Amino acid sequence: MTGEVAAQVFTRRARGERWRIRARQLRGILRQFARQRSGVLGVLIIALFTICALVPDLLVGPFESVTRASGEKFDSPSPTHILGTDELGRDVLNLVVHGARISMAIGLMATIITVAIGAVIGIVAGFNGGRLDTILMRITDFFLILPTFVLALVLAPVLRELLGEGSEFFGIRVTLLVIIVVIGITSWASTARIIRSQTLSIRERAYIDRARAIGASSGHIMRRHILPNVLSLIVANTVLVFAGSVLTETTLSFVGLGDQLAPSWGQILAFAQSSGAPGIGAWWYTASPGIAIVLVVLSFTLVGHALDSILNPKLAGRR
Amino acid sequence: MGSRFFARRLGQAILTILFVLVVNFILFRSLPGSPERILLRGTRISAQALENQRDKWGLNDPLLPIDLRIDDQGIRLVDFPASLTDNQLVAYVESLAQLDLGLSFQFRGRAVADVISEKLPPTLLLFGIGEAIAIVIGFGLGALAGWRRGRPSDYVGTSVSLVLYSMPYFWLGMILLIIFAATLRWFPTTGMVTPGADFASPVEHVIDVARHLVLPATTVALGLIGQYSLLMRSAVTEVLAEDYVQTARAKGLKGDRILRDHVLPNAMLPAVTLVAINLGYIVAGAITVEQVFSWPGLGTLTVDALRTRDYPMMSGVFLVLSISVVLANLVADMIYGVLDPRVRT
Repeated sequence: MTGEVAAQVFTRRARGERWRIRARQLRGILRQFARQRSGVLGVLIIALFTICALVPDLLVGPFESVTRASGEKFDSPSPTHILGTDELGRDVLNLVVHGARISMAIGLMATIITVAIGAVIGIVAGFNGGRLDTILMRITDFFLILPTFVLALVLAPVLRELLGEGSEFFGIRVTLLVIIVVIGITSWASTARIIRSQTLSIRERAYIDRARAIGASSGHIMRRHILPNVLSLIVANTVLVFAGSVLTETTLSFVGLGDQLAPSWGQILAFAQSSGAPGIGAWWYTASPGIAIVLVVLSFTLVGHALDSILNPKLAGRR
Repeated sequence: MGSRFFARRLGQAILTILFVLVVNFILFRSLPGSPERILLRGTRISAQALENQRDKWGLNDPLLPIDLRIDDQGIRLVDFPASLTDNQLVAYVESLAQLDLGLSFQFRGRAVADVISEKLPPTLLLFGIGEAIAIVIGFGLGALAGWRRGRPSDYVGTSVSLVLYSMPYFWLGMILLIIFAATLRWFPTTGMVTPGADFASPVEHVIDVARHLVLPATTVALGLIGQYSLLMRSAVTEVLAEDYVQTARAKGLKGDRILRDHVLPNAMLPAVTLVAINLGYIVAGAITVEQVFSWPGLGTLTVDALRTRDYPMMSGVFLVLSISVVLANLVADMIYGVLDPRVRT
């Protein structure tokens, strides 16, 4: 009886100790990160756009639809319309700030799917080895070599047709959902490769053998011993994948797979293109969403690299 | 030893292409609405006539050369091969082998293969030139940045590359179009030749195409330069850490000789391979840049097919692009194997 209580106390203490260690590690990482100027700049820009994505109404008022357009068409920038207006007379600043929510939400969800698939396949393949590893890596190579963007282009309309245009799943419009899923399905391969190679080296460590010796199952070892040790790699990779997802979303929307009623930055550029804005020199209409995209993608890339150099210092030499 | 490396690479490429075929087949067969409904849209026909049509088009044959039964006991393999000849997958691969990619919806029944081969040369022209410029400038910048790691020129070069890398290609194209075509009027805005122009000589024709080519090719080049210079920079950085560079320094060789004779030849190899591997990503840029400049190539064709739901065309473009990327990778692998025997393991 007392032994059991002692064991419980011990476990609780060990758990508390673990959290303290983690908190200390986190503080150390933050301190190192604060020293990386480009990473800090990236975080600031991301914070700015996150605010836009969270409360666009507070910043620029409600989203201007076709019927709520507030200006004349193709007005150049003026004090009332700082970034000018589009072909329907909508305020471009309004569109871009509201677009932040769509672009970043799609980017975030696509990233979660991408990293989840990549991490699971990487860990399972690397840990189990053998034929399973060979098969999974063949599939991974297939996705690495193929022009995945074209696969996405082909997959998106087929999925839309299958799910039914105009329907909704979990409150997400099907057009947006298809983009998220398609990006997720087509871009996990490099994540899987990175995670697998790290898993291969962790698998050989002594504590994995020890866990196995006391009877831990493969699933348990993968969850409790491998995953925590590849987590730093996953975090840095997630940030970089986000940059890629935003770019892919932009391109998919630009070629006509976006949602016209919930315009992302790519969809705004598609509007600009189809209205002939570049040809008549309406630079404000084209430049504004593009600059937003470049800033966000660049910031995530900078933060990703900064995190990578702190969390995975051994790999830093490769860059 | 060596030949086994090449045989394995070839085998992998063939496997990948087969995989592409199967994915393509399943993807487009899973569309709701069967092909004969699309072909006979709107016409009233009897059930018997429809059945005859289905027989004629081979739609009553099993889809795959395996017979899968799906019921409450799960998925079971009933028969293999169900029938090696009378199934739709084999029929599909057979017609592909004869370069028959089906008929386009959007071009009113023209053969997909014909349309694609017509649109291929403009794309090759645009990307050949853009790619060549990008390799020269991108590799140059990257080598310089890697060589002067940590100095101002590295800082500037890497920053510019990162910004270029973060830009959607097509946006870069739109900006160039606004500045140089719409505002300054130095170059035409769209197309490959001036519509309706009557050229006195072939030279004038070439000049006209070249004027149309400047902006899209610059866009392609700028879009790739960022990527290529980052690749080259990391390749050079890696080589600089090698022992033989240390040795060269110890021998007292001058900086630019070390760079030219010891670093660049060794950094070039991985960089070139990475260019081949990245081909798949470049295709995305290709499609959108053509769309911005209405360049009459494969990219514009793809977007039009997407817009008009021209499924046979989309499937054909997907096949052609995928297979060319796989083959390009195979060639790059082989060249790498010839030049650097260490990878042949």
